[in-house]
Amino acid sequence: MINRALLPAGGGENMLHCTDMTVLERQRARNKWQQEQQQQFQLQQQEISYFTELVDVFHQAGFHEGGLSEVVTRSVKPDPGLVDNGWNNDRVVGYGVGLPYNNGLGFELNYGAISRTSSCPPEADAAVAAATVKGSESVVSDKISSGAGRESSKKRKVDKIQNNSKVVAEEDTRDKRIKGCAEQGESKITEKNNNKNSRNNNTNKNNNSNKENSDETSKDNSKVSEVQKPDYIHVRARRGQATDSHSLAERVRREKISERMKYLQDLVPGCDKITGKAGMLDEIINYVQSLQRQVEFLSMKVAAANPRLDFNVDNLFAKEAFPACSINFPTIGMSSDMTNPAYLQFNPAQQQLVACCGLDMGIDPPDMALKRTTSAPVSIPETFLDPSCFTQTHPPPTWDADLQNLYNVAFDQGRQTSFQTQPFTGSIEASNLKMEM
Amino acid sequence: MASKHTIATRHAQGIRARFASRFLRSLLRVRRSSNRFGGSQSNDEGIGKRIRTDRIKIAAYAAMARAVGPRRTWSRALLFKLRNRARIHGVSRKRCLVSEKKRVTRNKVVAISREPSRADTLRKLVPGGDSMDTCVLLEETAHYIKCLATQVTVMQSIADRLLL
Repeated sequence: MINRALLPAGGGENMLHCTDMTVLERQRARNKWQQEQQQQFQLQQQEISYFTELVDVFHQAGFHEGGLSEVVTRSVKPDPGLVDNGWNNDRVVGYGVGLPYNNGLGFELNYGAISRTSSCPPEADAAVAAATVKGSESVVSDKISSGAGRESSKKRKVDKIQNNSKVVAEEDTRDKRIKGCAEQGESKITEKNNNKNSRNNNTNKNNNSNKENSDETSKDNSKVSEVQKPDYIHVRARRGQATDSHSLAERVRREKISERMKYLQDLVPGCDKITGKAGMLDEIINYVQSLQRQVEFLSMKVAAANPRLDFNVDNLFAKEAFPACSINFPTIGMSSDMTNPAYLQFNPAQQQLVACCGLDMGIDPPDMALKRTTSAPVSIPETFLDPSCFTQTHPPPTWDADLQNLYNVAFDQGRQTSFQTQPFTGSIEASNLKMEM
Repeated sequence: MASKHTIATRHAQGIRARFASRFLRSLLRVRRSSNRFGGSQSNDEGIGKRIRTDRIKIAAYAAMARAVGPRRTWSRALLFKLRNRARIHGVSRKRCLVSEKKRVTRNKVVAISREPSRADTLRKLVPGGDSMDTCVLLEETAHYIKCLATQVTVMQSIADRLLL
C-alpha cells in the first residue's frame, strides 16, 4: 500500500509520487490562479520566511501538523479534485522527477499562488520549506502522503478514468467549488482531498475516482473541517482508514446510487418530498407497476377498438402528432393502490407531469388512465401468440413508405395533417380490404 | 405549455416515432391474424378479446424494445424473452427459464437468504433486472420508465383515435 510508505520517514519513491502529483497539480493551479498570485504575493513572502523558520520545527514529528496547518490555512485553494480530474495518469507517470526538482517547482509555484489548489497547498508549502531547507523530510512526507495517495489513486484508475460525462461533470463541480472556496483559505478541503486521495489509493474498483473525489470533497467538508488537525496530523490514522478499501468502495457505490436516485426522483412524478432510498424505491416500484398496468389497460382498449381499425386508419395516421390527450376512459375499476394520493395529481393537468418528467421526454404524461386502470387478469398464457406478429410479414410496400413519411411530417409539425392522408387513404383502405378478406 | 415537439429532444421524438410506427404495424398484423383465425367472432368473444389484448400488449412491448434497440440491458432482455416465447410457446420457454436461472443463480443465491427487498421487487418489474446490481438497476429503471411513459402516451393517442 502506498499509504504505508507514506510514513513521515518518506521514501524516494514516495517523493517521486508526490512530485508527480504536485507538479502536475501545480501546473494546473498556476494556470488558473494567476490572479491570486498577485494578490497574495506579499503573503507568500511572509509565508516563505515563516516557513523557513518552521522547517526546523517540522523535523519533529509532532510539529508538522501545527505549522503546516497554519500554512495551509493561509494557502487558499480548494480542490485537488479539480487537478485530479483532468489528468491522465500517463501524464503523471511520465513525470518521475526527483525531489529537488519538485521542491524547487513547488517553491516557485508557491510563490505564484499559495491560494492554488487542491491537494497541493500543504504540499506546496512543504515544498517551499523543503526548498529552503532541504532537510525537511517530514514536511515532504506529509506532502507525499497526500500527494502520493492522490497520484497512486490516479495511476490505478488510469484505465477506469474514461468517464466522459462524469469527468466533465466533476470538472465543472470542482471548478465551481474552487471558485467558491477560493477566498476562504480552505485548506480543509485540500486536506480532505489529501486524505481522500490517500484513501483512494486502496480502492481498485473506482471507476469514478475523480467524481468520487469531488463528491467526497463536498460531502466530507464538514467532517474534515472539524477534525482538520487530527486528520492531517495522524498520517497513520489515515493510513489505517485507507487500507479499508471496502469502506472506500462502499462510499463510491453509495454515491453512485444516490446520484441515480436523484435522477429517478426527477423522472417519477410526485417524489419531491420523499427523502430516503426506501420511500423513493417504493414510489418507483409503484410508478413502474402503474405504467405497466396502464399499458395493459390501453392494449385492452385498443383491442376493443380494433374492429374499427380500418375505419380510422387514416385518421390514426394523420393524427399521430399526439395533441393533448383528453381521454375519457370508461371507469372500469380502480385498483387499491391507484388511490394513492401521490398519483392524483396526474389527473387533470398533463403539463405538470411534463414539467416533472422533463428529461428529454416531451410526452404527455399518463394521467387519466392511472386512476382507472384495472387489475384485469393477465393470467392468460401467451401461448396463443401468433408468431407472425414478430416475423416481418409483408405489408404493402407503399405502406411503410407512406407510414414513415406521414410520421415524419406529423411529428415534425405536431398538428393534424389530414390533408396529407388523402393520397394515402386509397392505398391504405385498399390494403385493409385485402387484409379483411 | 410548449408543444411537444419543442419539448422533445430528437432522441425522445425518435423513440416515439419509431415505437409508434412499429406498434401500428404490429397492430395491423394482430388484426390480420385475429381475422384469419376467427373472422369476426374473435372480435366479440371474451376469450378472443383477451387473446387480442395480450397480443397487442406483447406487440407494444416488442415494438418498444425494438425501437430502443439492443443498447439497453432491459430491451435486450425483453427481446430475448419475447422471441423465446414466440418461437416455441411452451418448450423453449421452459428451457429459457432454466438457462436464465443458471445465468441469474449467482446473484440470486446471495439474495435467497434475505427477504425480498425493494430492489428485488424492482428487479422483477424491470425486464432483465435479475442480472443487474443495484447501481445498474437504477439506471435501467430510469430509462425503462421513460420508455414506458412514451409507450403509454402513444397507445393512449392511438386508442383515442381508434375510438373516435
